[in-house]
Amino acid sequence: MIEAVGTRPALFEQIERAEAASRRWFRAKFALVWVVIMAALFAAFASTDNLDADFVAEWAPYILGGAGITVLVSVLSIALATVLALVGALGRISRRSIPYGIASFYVSLVRGTPLLVQIYIIFFSLPQISPLLILPAIAGGVLALGFNYGAYMTEIFRAGIQAVPRGQTEAARALGMPENLIFRRIVLPQAIRIVTPAIGNDFISMIKDSALVSTIGVQEVLWRAENAGRPTLHTLEAFIIAGLVYWGLTIVFSFVQERLEKRMARGDR
Amino acid sequence: MRPMRTSALLFTGLLVLVTGCQPSAAPDDLLSTIQANGVIRVATDPAYPPQSELLPDGTYQGFDIDVAERIAEELGVTVEYITPDFSEVVAGGWAGRWDISVGSVTVTAEREGVLDFTPAYYYTPAQMAATTASGITTLDGLAGMTICVGEQTTYQFWLEGTLELVGSPEPAAVPEGAQLTTFSTDTECADAIASGRTDFEGWLTSSTTLANAIANDAAFVSVGDPVFYEALAVATDKAGPAHAGLQAELDRIIAEMHSDGSLTALSEQWFDGLDLTTVE
Repeated sequence: MIEAVGTRPALFEQIERAEAASRRWFRAKFALVWVVIMAALFAAFASTDNLDADFVAEWAPYILGGAGITVLVSVLSIALATVLALVGALGRISRRSIPYGIASFYVSLVRGTPLLVQIYIIFFSLPQISPLLILPAIAGGVLALGFNYGAYMTEIFRAGIQAVPRGQTEAARALGMPENLIFRRIVLPQAIRIVTPAIGNDFISMIKDSALVSTIGVQEVLWRAENAGRPTLHTLEAFIIAGLVYWGLTIVFSFVQERLEKRMARGDR
Repeated sequence: MRPMRTSALLFTGLLVLVTGCQPSAAPDDLLSTIQANGVIRVATDPAYPPQSELLPDGTYQGFDIDVAERIAEELGVTVEYITPDFSEVVAGGWAGRWDISVGSVTVTAEREGVLDFTPAYYYTPAQMAATTASGITTLDGLAGMTICVGEQTTYQFWLEGTLELVGSPEPAAVPEGAQLTTFSTDTECADAIASGRTDFEGWLTSSTTLANAIANDAAFVSVGDPVFYEALAVATDKAGPAHAGLQAELDRIIAEMHSDGSLTALSEQWFDGLDLTTVE
């Protein structure tokens, strides 16, 4: 017994050391894999002899400056999408035919057409109906992206609302809470926690899809890359810079999302 | 607090409306709107150096930019540049997103249906080029070959046989059986070849765009004489707000820039000493 007390910690220590060593080895190999792939990609592009360091030095700050517009457009669009999704989800769970019909039409129309077509219609076609529908490029882009994502998020919100256990509503009703208040105070806060990770995911894909609004002249990352690179035939460098900017943005926001999710999950513990 | 703020807002709105409608030239003319705002919104496509190009600080420079600045100066306003695709500009129906185009738009019979033009401010030769890889050196050598052009450009219309120039000499004949392929902007043709693509042999664009591409090591050679000369003019939207007053001012400014020699000076500055303000 005394012997066992003395030897078991030594054995544990040995196991822990071995595990720590294996973890370090895993991390080292993981980092090595990334470095090798990045180096191989760089070598492949450098082998074209078209990577011009002067162009990169001169234009990278301007292209990077488009990140502000990209984030601005994405934030405004996701805000609009969230509002539309909430209203849409209420329509989709409604037992009344008109709200249900409107919400279903919206979801079907948007999910059944390409985002690029929606951007073109909002920017080029709507102004022909009425001059009141003339939108500047950024507003048009935000409207198109928000309208599109709102439909996808409608289904997420609907699922989120329906995922709140029925017992919660029943208990609130038993306490005599009015239906509106039950939704606002009991169902919605829990539904928001359920859908937050999904909104975060959508925001990250929004950052990438926002590149499509370069087609209507919004001077975000891709527009800047195209117009910086094309006249001097440096599109290789320009598009690589643009790709890196988007990649950097998604990494940053994935990190932010992870933190946010942990925060929101605190109540579940 | 609430009602006060609301009424303050309403009052400011009213003030904006009243000052916005302040007539200076003819009421309701685009010219008075521009002068009231102190800003003229000019469409430019910065993919076309030396006419218009982007600088790393996000500003623009070029021949068209200088012409736009002079127009603004004459009108006593500043310029705000809007950057739609070239094909959006020539399609007309600008929906009031910008006021004028100083974007080297060629005057054609079809475009006159949707745009109002000033007299030409300069003329560019449409120059055929062939990829160096193709080994082609004559215009006839492009018979049966594929030629790359920008979408909705006069170069595309010429290849399709639908080009009707206004105020320009008669174009040359299209090479027999030539096919065409398009990109949204002329310079993407050069880009496609630079990136190693081989889908086409010819490229038809303005001689100035071609010269700029070759100066940037694009693998093209100029082939034959210019196939046509195009008159390029400042444009306004026919379907836009009433703009007879603005149009008269634009016509006057362009005529003045021709006669005081400033257009010639700008042409020589931007086009390697060439005077493109007249047809030779």
